[in-house]
Amino acid sequence: MTAPPGRRRLLAAAGALALGGLAGCASLGATGTAALRSAPPAGLPRRVELGATPFHPQEDYQCGPAALAMALGAAGLATSPEQLARQIFPPGREGTLQIEMLTGARRNGALAIEIPGSLDAMVRETAAGHPVVVLLNLGLSWAPSWHYAVVIGYDLDDGAFLLRSGPLERQVLPFETFERSWARAGNWAFVVLPPGQLAATADEAKTTAALVAFEKTAPPLRAATAYRSALARWPASLTIAMGLGNSLYKASAQPEAEAVFQSAARRHNAAAAWNNLANLLLERGRLREARDAAQKAVALGGPTLDTAQDTLRQIEARLAASASPRRKAPRDRAARR
Amino acid sequence: MRLKQTLAALLIVSTTHVGFIQTAQAAMVGTEAVAQASTARSANDARSQLNDAFARADVQARLQALGVDSRDARERVAALTDDEARRLAGEIDKAPAGGIIEVILFVFFVLLVTDILGFTKVFPFTRSIR
Repeated sequence: MTAPPGRRRLLAAAGALALGGLAGCASLGATGTAALRSAPPAGLPRRVELGATPFHPQEDYQCGPAALAMALGAAGLATSPEQLARQIFPPGREGTLQIEMLTGARRNGALAIEIPGSLDAMVRETAAGHPVVVLLNLGLSWAPSWHYAVVIGYDLDDGAFLLRSGPLERQVLPFETFERSWARAGNWAFVVLPPGQLAATADEAKTTAALVAFEKTAPPLRAATAYRSALARWPASLTIAMGLGNSLYKASAQPEAEAVFQSAARRHNAAAAWNNLANLLLERGRLREARDAAQKAVALGGPTLDTAQDTLRQIEARLAASASPRRKAPRDRAARR
Repeated sequence: MRLKQTLAALLIVSTTHVGFIQTAQAAMVGTEAVAQASTARSANDARSQLNDAFARADVQARLQALGVDSRDARERVAALTDDEARRLAGEIDKAPAGGIIEVILFVFFVLLVTDILGFTKVFPFTRSIR
């Protein structure tokens, strides 16, 4: 309590989540480096430096806010490390958790997409123009010293990554050193992107997780932009299609939302899509079409059955309500027979 | 007292309000629910994954070193509810490659503790505190 906290303890919080995965990592050889040297990814430049990435020197132990501010700035969402520190660097705990880095990016209007933990992915991502936020363990596996930094490029001829790291605006870190300190921190990395852009290396699952999380706090139209770009890349994804439909619906873009739910419902024959389409049609006053869609949702059952039954009840109540005044009109009755 | 009453009133107002919002939107299925449904696996898959995990040579060696018969672990897996099986398999999925053995052992000790607490009864050598 009285002694000034050592560096180890200070940044321990940052890596608390990674700690579980560190056992046995210290003996790892630099196999990724060898692969990168012998067979660099085809079609990429020998050298990349994203020089336009802003630089915020780290203050005290606030490497998390500094790294995130740099990545957000590069994505066109300028913010200061001080502002971020208030959100993701609570006083009393001297470090930023990995999950806070992701939520911090989202709270500032960006998608935070985790990328594969390979040197290959690192090279591809920076070549695509995306700086990569990484967690490094600059210490040893049993005496960790956690550190967030931003990879802004690489040089295949020099065999090194270029980083904005702590007080250094341009750190040249040999592939081997980077690989080892990154492996000791669980090979964790993510990119920060404005909605509408996708990571060059992220897979469908990671991207979908990032999108669903983004939708929760983002303005609906920005979420729709993000989903739309992802749907263009993975047109067979039901979750992404539903996310686009739901975001458009929340943004009151009903005709567009209807088109999305229609095509998702047809393509996947999924209860969730039929149910949401039914609700939308109900709101737009097209009760018969709404009932057809809701009946399909109910027939499919599954975990959304309760919701679908609810939808169908609402539609039938509205149908009954709109039919009852007509009963008094004899002409209408005759016409129905 | 005054504070308590105000707080209670506030709570009533806010919870009824929340209830109202939920009914108004209850009929739409959120994206998160769709995402969860599409990544959910069957309980049988989860169960066989757990059994595979306990069958690994390195895990068996560790269990043996702790004086535990790996058959006990298998019996416990069979006794898990579907939901428990899925959750435990999820824990193993989340474990980074280096840490997987720790997670499997952790799962085993969770089972052990639930036995001791009397929620379950699988291991013959545990004595429930209930």
